[in-house]
Amino acid sequence: MRIERLWSTTRLRLRSLLRGRRVEDEMNEELLFHLDHRIQEGIASGLTPGEARHAAMRAMGGLEQRKEEIRDARGLRLLTDFATDVRHAIRGLRRTPGLSAFVVLTLALGIGMSAASFSGLDGLVFRPYPVPRPDDVVSLVSTTHDNRYGRFSWREYADIRDETKSYDGVIASTFPAAVGYSPGPAIVPRAAAGMMVSGNYFRVLGVEPTIGRGFRDGEDEVPGRDAVAILGDGFWKSEFAQDPAAVGRTIRLNGAEFTVIGVAPESFPGLQIFLRPDVYVPLAMASLFSANPQKQFFVDRDDRQLSVRARLRRGVTQPEARSEMALLARNFASEFPQTNRERGAEVDTPLQMRTRPDDVNWKFLAIAFGLALAVLLVACTNVAGLLLSRAHARTREIAVRLALGAGRFRLVRMLLTESLVLAVLGGLSGILVGHFALTWMTRLTLPTELPALPPFQIDGRVMTAAMALAVLSAFVCGVAPALQSARTDLLTGLKSGDATPIGRRRLWGRSVLVIAQVATSLMLLAAAFLMDRGFRQSVSEGVAFAKDPVLLARFDPRLIQYDSGRTRRFYDQLTDRARAIPGVVSAALSANPPLTLDPFGAITFVPDGFEMPRNRDSFASLLDTVDEGFFDTVGIPVLRGRGFLASDTEDAPRVAIVNEQLARHYWPDREAVGQHIRLDDAHGARLEIVGVVKTVKYREGSEKPTDCVYLPVRQQPAPRLVLMLRSNGDPLALVAPLKEVVRTLDANMPLLATRSYEDLYRYHAVEGPAAAMAFVGSLGVIGLILAIAGLYGLIAYNVSRRTREIGVRMALGAKPGDVLRLVLRQGLVLVGTGSAIGLGLGLSVERLMNSMLFNVGGVDLTVYAVVVPSMLLATTAAASVPARRAARIAPTEALRCD
Amino acid sequence: MSKPADLVQGTLDLLLLKILALEPMHGWAISLRLRSISGDVLQVSEGSLYPALHKLEQEGWIQAEWKQTENNRRAKFYALTRAGRKQLGAETANWDRLSSAISQVVRLSET
Repeated sequence: MRIERLWSTTRLRLRSLLRGRRVEDEMNEELLFHLDHRIQEGIASGLTPGEARHAAMRAMGGLEQRKEEIRDARGLRLLTDFATDVRHAIRGLRRTPGLSAFVVLTLALGIGMSAASFSGLDGLVFRPYPVPRPDDVVSLVSTTHDNRYGRFSWREYADIRDETKSYDGVIASTFPAAVGYSPGPAIVPRAAAGMMVSGNYFRVLGVEPTIGRGFRDGEDEVPGRDAVAILGDGFWKSEFAQDPAAVGRTIRLNGAEFTVIGVAPESFPGLQIFLRPDVYVPLAMASLFSANPQKQFFVDRDDRQLSVRARLRRGVTQPEARSEMALLARNFASEFPQTNRERGAEVDTPLQMRTRPDDVNWKFLAIAFGLALAVLLVACTNVAGLLLSRAHARTREIAVRLALGAGRFRLVRMLLTESLVLAVLGGLSGILVGHFALTWMTRLTLPTELPALPPFQIDGRVMTAAMALAVLSAFVCGVAPALQSARTDLLTGLKSGDATPIGRRRLWGRSVLVIAQVATSLMLLAAAFLMDRGFRQSVSEGVAFAKDPVLLARFDPRLIQYDSGRTRRFYDQLTDRARAIPGVVSAALSANPPLTLDPFGAITFVPDGFEMPRNRDSFASLLDTVDEGFFDTVGIPVLRGRGFLASDTEDAPRVAIVNEQLARHYWPDREAVGQHIRLDDAHGARLEIVGVVKTVKYREGSEKPTDCVYLPVRQQPAPRLVLMLRSNGDPLALVAPLKEVVRTLDANMPLLATRSYEDLYRYHAVEGPAAAMAFVGSLGVIGLILAIAGLYGLIAYNVSRRTREIGVRMALGAKPGDVLRLVLRQGLVLVGTGSAIGLGLGLSVERLMNSMLFNVGGVDLTVYAVVVPSMLLATTAAASVPARRAARIAPTEALRCD
Repeated sequence: MSKPADLVQGTLDLLLLKILALEPMHGWAISLRLRSISGDVLQVSEGSLYPALHKLEQEGWIQAEWKQTENNRRAKFYALTRAGRKQLGAETANWDRLSSAISQVVRLSET
């Protein structure tokens, strides 16, 4: 019955709201019906029709008042008022389309930037794990002095799982890594993101496979027994076309056969942020996937590859779990001092894990979000300024409304509705802006080995946040002008159209704001220009080799259990046969070809006969392990001495090649060729430097010249190598024949990533820098727009405030030109001051960036020759609109009101 | 909302519910009935009748329907809902308690 009543009243309310005209008509008809009968009654008792009508109306006691009471009784006052206000606001805004569009634009920029950066922050920090009751899931980490976020070994995990009492289940997983996947034995494997998980992983997380089953608890117990796999949803869709018969099928991972037993649901893309696991396998299959083949996964307590998570038991607090883990860690330390001395353990929430102090990504996004909010705040201040000047111009209208009996609260509501309409429009366009910003940002695919999926999207959460920001900004920018208007003094308002004068202080504050906006936007624009120039210059040297037609293909024979001898034979045969592919000019091997995004190798060494500084025993440098064809294939010229030779084998004297930067660094006035270095420390193997090569960029296009050492792969074996093929045509045309070569060598060998060097070149030298520049540049442009808005608002406000003064001036003989100059002068003073400060800031930023990023050297005045005048021009234009309006004021008009 | 000075607060709702409990009727008929049953003791302004009816309708205690009158004119007929009947019971009980309490007090002061 309650429901029934609720339904009927809701229906009534909806009807009053949606069919307002109809309800109003019915009300009139009902009252008319009553009046008619009353009049008939009067006539019947002997009154004249006129008298009867009069009596009827009197009995009713004021028809319009009754109607109002009925409307009130229908309880829709606030809503219908709001609808009226919205209609009124839209009409008003359409009368000043330029101003409205401008306000919406500034708000949209502020909200859009906030939405875009919030989306990033949400993806990295706030979005909960895609599992039921995500807040119960905590991370267990192993801690040392150097690393607060360490992993655990299998043995440690098993002990934690069995000995803790705080949890409803403890799970372990490896980080997703490249595994060689192939659907059948005759097909060359390709890289897929594989992840080893404990048998209870899906059960404890509460994730039910869409089809098939999850792992069983026992399936991670016997090493090598249960070759079963669960597919990620995306992988199932892309590789198996969502075929339910995928379950039960046999696939090959790293050369071994696995049976697919299930498919993870779409709602569970994994717990990682950037990577989606394609295949899950039980930890018991570790021998096939271990990243650390020298160690025994199930035996060594220090083979720490496992991320351990747990579901907190109901009622157990994080501090309780922490003290339990600390105790366990102390037991480990006393029981296994060799591996666990000085090692503790902690329990962290997902939020704590995602806001690690050593992670720069979320910090960058948090800063970007803060900046965007600051931009939004400034935009709001500007909009408030614009609305204030508009409110000022409407003093008379407000006074008339007040005089006609409008309540002040009602008036504030009306004016707030106006800013709300503006803000909602701004919010909607802001979502669009955010969407474009994100599409633009994620358009760049990172040339990484496994596809990286940036978790940035405009979803429901982000849209809610954007609209909440919009409503908030409506209040921030609407309250002051609304209250100001509602305070309008009736008498003076009606008489003169001039509200109470506003103190100089507020104007002073707004002037400072405008100056700051001009200054910072000038600085940002200068920085963007500088970055452009810096990148161009920096990129013009040291990356040119990457434009050549070279194909890169990465191999890792460890993935299919090759030992070192078999690995060497494989690479020998691979390079030999690859050279024979038609179209291949030369072939080479390298562990870290410059500009690939994988972590670069490092070497510690001591230059022989070098006076070591007291506080250190060795130096560090980048390290690449290459074969004899490398320098020719990549196109890095050997400046002095020689390149590596096929004769630099294990049995030959050990040799090294260094880049020019390193040679100049350690032997500034001597020839580096012929000098010796020792590996590791002063007692390490002695290597003769046989050549010096040109310094190039190794990790990124904008890096400063860096030391680099090359070692021959025959003397320093590395299992994970990149085959580089220089082509005389399109390098990607070599992919198919290369695959065939690999297949004839070993059909199970995964071809991890193939890409052309040009891809990397584009990323480092074209798209990456463009993205960075666009970020700073768009901040500058937004700053400029805001500065113009602020300036316009301030001057327009001032003009509307001084209307009467201007009228007097003109009545006393001032020409329109004089007025124009008067108003423009104010604008120019602000812009000039701002530009001067911005110039100073820009110069110091330039010096800073020169010292930190590029060695462009010197100050480039052309930047300012472009930026400053255009800034002056733009802002002057902004000031001239209200100035011209002021000049058009007719003296009679301005003076009449008194 | 203007209330007749001599009508105890809230009693108009009770009266309306009571009248409509007998049979559905339109506003004019209700005003005639009010006049006839309470004579001139209870002066209900015709004006305050309609806001009160609309309020009761919003509360869900009565519901309205447009029907033909005997004179073939369209009129809005109000009828008691189930919730309204319950409300009437509650208000009647309330009124009984109040009036008996008041009459006790009045008798007390007389003795």
